Amino acid sequence: MEKTLQVLNTLENEGVLGKYAIAGAMGATFYIEPVLTFDLDVFIVLPQQGVLLTLAPLYEALRVRGYHEEDECVNIEGVPVQFLPAYNTLIEEAVAAAREINYTDTFTRVLRVEHLVAICLQTGRDKDRERIRLFREQASLDMEYLKEILKRHGLEDAWQRLNK
Amino acid sequence: MATPEQITPEIARLFFAKNERRKRLAALPYPEKVQAVVQLQRMAVPILKNRDKRARVWQINT
Repeated sequence: MEKTLQVLNTLENEGVLGKYAIAGAMGATFYIEPVLTFDLDVFIVLPQQGVLLTLAPLYEALRVRGYHEEDECVNIEGVPVQFLPAYNTLIEEAVAAAREINYTDTFTRVLRVEHLVAICLQTGRDKDRERIRLFREQASLDMEYLKEILKRHGLEDAWQRLNK
Repeated sequence: MATPEQITPEIARLFFAKNERRKRLAALPYPEKVQAVVQLQRMAVPILKNRDKRARVWQINT
């Protein structure tokens, strides 16, 4: 996965991507026990965000480098990467606040666990509720930080309902 | 799921050990967890293929 992350860093340095951060099951796996997944979900802020949300320039930059689309993903160095443009203010905030880490010797970003919880709550599928349970059981959550996020994004009621 | 009256000390010990193992897995370094995900993929792919679902193991070294 290191080579995949190196490609993402190059795209960011070249301005093809505004900023990226690992989310989804692989983001969750940073904090909890490994979770089965077949793709690497990456939230991205595009340079032209706000004007027109299109992945075309990104896909073209990847195609030039020899990485091709497979269904909704692009296979980058053996890993199918699904690029998800930040589609609401919660996701934009999550990418902006993402944790900066080193994956062996390569820089990358992973969403903060509190943002992953909030995104699961907002998405609200069965598997998201199950993931929240795992986060609460296995990860260290900053509850004050999480409460602020929930308040900012109108998720307090959903959180209360989950706790009933 | 067993009701509390059905849980013998032996079963309780097994549940405890299971939880401890999950905590140990959660505490692994990220690259080791990624390798564990790939191992999960190797285990899941044959099952999924039998159900006509497409899935592929990541081709990575690290």
